[in-house]
Amino acid sequence: MTTHAPAHEIPTVEGRREPDYLRVTKGFMSWVTTLDHKRIGLMYLFGVTLAFIVGGIFAMLLRAHLWNPGPDGQMFSPQDYNQLFTLHGAFMVFAFIIPAIPGSIANFALPLLIGAPDVALPKLNLASFYLWLFGTVLLSYSAITNGLDTGWTFYTPWSLKSQTAVLSAGLGVFVIGFSSIFTGLNFLVTMHKMRARGMGWFQMPLFCWAIYASSVLQVLATPVLGITVALLAFEHIYHIGVFDPAEGGDPVLFQHFFWFYSHPAVYIMILPGMGIISEVVSTHSRRPLFGYKLLAFSSIAIAVISFLVWGHHMYTSGQSEFAMQAFSFLTVLVAIPTAIKMWSWVATIWGGSIALTAPMLYAIAFLVIFTIGGLTGVYLAALAIDIHLHDTYFVVAHFHAVMMGSTAIAFFAGVHHWWPKMFGRMYNEKLASIAAIVILTGFMVTFLPQFEMGSQGMPRRYATYSEQWVGYHRASTVGAMILGAGFALMVGYLLHSLIAGRKAKPNEWGGVTLDWKCPTPPNLYNFDDEPIAGKLYDYGPTLKR
Amino acid sequence: MANTSHDSHHHDVVVDHSHHGHVSTFQIFLRVYVTLCVLTIVTVAASQVDFGGANMLIAVLIASIKASLVVTFFMHLKWDTAMNNIAFLGSLLFLSLLFLFTLADFATRGMADPTQMSPIR
Amino acid sequence: MSHATIVTPTPEGGFQPHTVAHHFKTAEQEFQAAKFAFWLFLVTEVMLFGGLFAAYIYYHGFYPKSFQAGGSLLDWRLGALNTMFLLTSSWTMANGVRCSQLSRRKEMVVWLWWTVVLAGGFMVVKYFEYSGKFHHGIFPFTQVWHPEGHYGEVLAGVAFPKLFFNIYFTMTGIHGLHVLVGMIAIGWLIWRGGQGRFHSGWYIPVDLIGLYWHVVDLIWIFLFPLLYLVP
Repeated sequence: MTTHAPAHEIPTVEGRREPDYLRVTKGFMSWVTTLDHKRIGLMYLFGVTLAFIVGGIFAMLLRAHLWNPGPDGQMFSPQDYNQLFTLHGAFMVFAFIIPAIPGSIANFALPLLIGAPDVALPKLNLASFYLWLFGTVLLSYSAITNGLDTGWTFYTPWSLKSQTAVLSAGLGVFVIGFSSIFTGLNFLVTMHKMRARGMGWFQMPLFCWAIYASSVLQVLATPVLGITVALLAFEHIYHIGVFDPAEGGDPVLFQHFFWFYSHPAVYIMILPGMGIISEVVSTHSRRPLFGYKLLAFSSIAIAVISFLVWGHHMYTSGQSEFAMQAFSFLTVLVAIPTAIKMWSWVATIWGGSIALTAPMLYAIAFLVIFTIGGLTGVYLAALAIDIHLHDTYFVVAHFHAVMMGSTAIAFFAGVHHWWPKMFGRMYNEKLASIAAIVILTGFMVTFLPQFEMGSQGMPRRYATYSEQWVGYHRASTVGAMILGAGFALMVGYLLHSLIAGRKAKPNEWGGVTLDWKCPTPPNLYNFDDEPIAGKLYDYGPTLKR
Repeated sequence: MANTSHDSHHHDVVVDHSHHGHVSTFQIFLRVYVTLCVLTIVTVAASQVDFGGANMLIAVLIASIKASLVVTFFMHLKWDTAMNNIAFLGSLLFLSLLFLFTLADFATRGMADPTQMSPIR
Repeated sequence: MSHATIVTPTPEGGFQPHTVAHHFKTAEQEFQAAKFAFWLFLVTEVMLFGGLFAAYIYYHGFYPKSFQAGGSLLDWRLGALNTMFLLTSSWTMANGVRCSQLSRRKEMVVWLWWTVVLAGGFMVVKYFEYSGKFHHGIFPFTQVWHPEGHYGEVLAGVAFPKLFFNIYFTMTGIHGLHVLVGMIAIGWLIWRGGQGRFHSGWYIPVDLIGLYWHVVDLIWIFLFPLLYLVP
């Protein structure tokens, strides 16, 4: 775009050339029928936060249940406990973590970061949100009616026999799967075809590379989940026999199919988080990312390797010894690109001009917890050790370190980083810093005892436990309550900022990527003038320490 | 874009001639179609002969040749962008991983410990 | 950013112009985005059916005798007829797309009609195959399983014969659903094509639904030898 209308024709809206996307149209219908990626992103943000709160309440209830070893003096019956942890897992995995960052943060920020006016397929984007909503409603319906006691993994043959709402929950997962495919597909097309003039692949911010890698996984792996859940439903209703040993089927095949999706899915969860951390550490340390290309390629490497490792969930399921050894070897390979990322982030911060803002504090919490989660993953990849640790609290603590402690915290970092861009308002930074520290503390108090009791043999998914672990369990329960308080504080000051927060600066953090070069909040089609990509992460002359 | 205006009521209309797609010929489609028909006959004929364990391989091989003809010519992939080629071939690559590991598990069960052989086999 | 309205070149002869969506800079960008998106959608189709094929091969390995017995009860001549129906319809579709690219409206509509008719033929044959199986007591997905006469004899000695038929019904059922969706989509193309919506400047819907239709054919190319001529 080269020419502009004369100055006297430009409508003045608080010194802007165009009204921002929040005010350009008004009313409920203008939101629920919007095709604007930013509004869809905000609807996703609102939705996944609700799902997170529901899942979080389940988590706090089940931690409260485990205050006493039982069976006497516990809050719930063992059957209700089974439902609680299943619903906690199903909500957190399918309704929160998988859509959280792609649906909300990436939807908002990705087109801005590549200088595009919108995603490539805006209608598909809105469809993806409504599919997510429908799937989540189905999950909630299952929770309210019959509950679900199969674990979030729906393992056969129990899921065929269970009298709980396996079908409606399965349909919910199926539908959310399509939502996830639509999101991933949309981002891939957007990044391929909508980049700003002058933006080659290696001028793309690293958040985009991370979303690219996770989108590839969404497109390639999710259909297999779809067909698996469909077969499970046929099996449940019509007894077709594919997963039921009584009819000649093999439950191990279910596990192969399930983890062919669900292992790549854990990278669908973590990769976007890694992308956020890349942007945050660079912006808030005012240094270009160290090893840009390595970071970009390590995202792709993680995506590819993630398809080769699913069997490490099945070490005790009866798959062949050969397959277990192969999967064990391949799983350890994931540590290489992951470690590259860790080193790059640390090297980026090192010598930078660090601002301990709220997003940066969350990013630092991510770096600490992800190190724990990543390294314990290497232990669990080792076949012999995993036979001992399989299905213990060690595993629970490991995947909470990478899902809750890393992905969810990266999500919070992203929310805090782009919040001023989203709403043009700033939250109370002091409260935000306190919340970040409370959440980090709560995480450690909750999960470090779980690592310890897991290594001592405390099995996961048990409603009762032996006296020897009372102290660990109680510490963990206290930690969960601290986490809950931290989240409540965060939701509180974020909502407060919308009403009474100070007006955000046009470029609150002094960011140099394209998202900070459009008005705050952005226009309906984002930029005043067509953006042209320049040198990436160009903070000018580096400050000497 | 040659010309723009900030007034949304008076859009300029620009005819954009930039658009290209490959147009194939009737002859190519006809030849591919005839080849596909012949290969269908070959499929049936090959299934009537006992090649021992190789029948599955032969059936899948012929089907793959037919499929690649459809993809290359009917679906224009031969003339399509590199990325569309990579996307489609990539899906086959990742699908082969599902086949490879699932079948590797199945085929090697009980090799180290015969008691772990699947009882229903 | 506000935009000029971009239209694609529209040939003479009653064709309707196409306006490029607001967020694209050029018609080429819109075309390539739509096409890449659709290839990615086809990738998901490949992965979805791939899971079913993996299940087929897995259980073929478990129960080769049952699969051979089950496959011998399917009529390969009907399967071959259906293969010809779909191959031919794939060819007519390819020609339909070609005519849309060349702005030959009437020819395009005729080719698309042939495609729908052949797809209908496929579904009719499928109907007779399914009802023939039901007639002999072989039902999809139920506990009501009482193979009669010749069927009972062939299946008597093999392990879990139901598994083969359930995989057969699942695979061909999901495939048949895709055929139906394709027929509806091509019907829509005939309707809009008759209005002159598709021409050398804008034929992407014909192109994309054509791609979909070829994938439906592609899957059947594998289903036919694996189910009807069980190796």
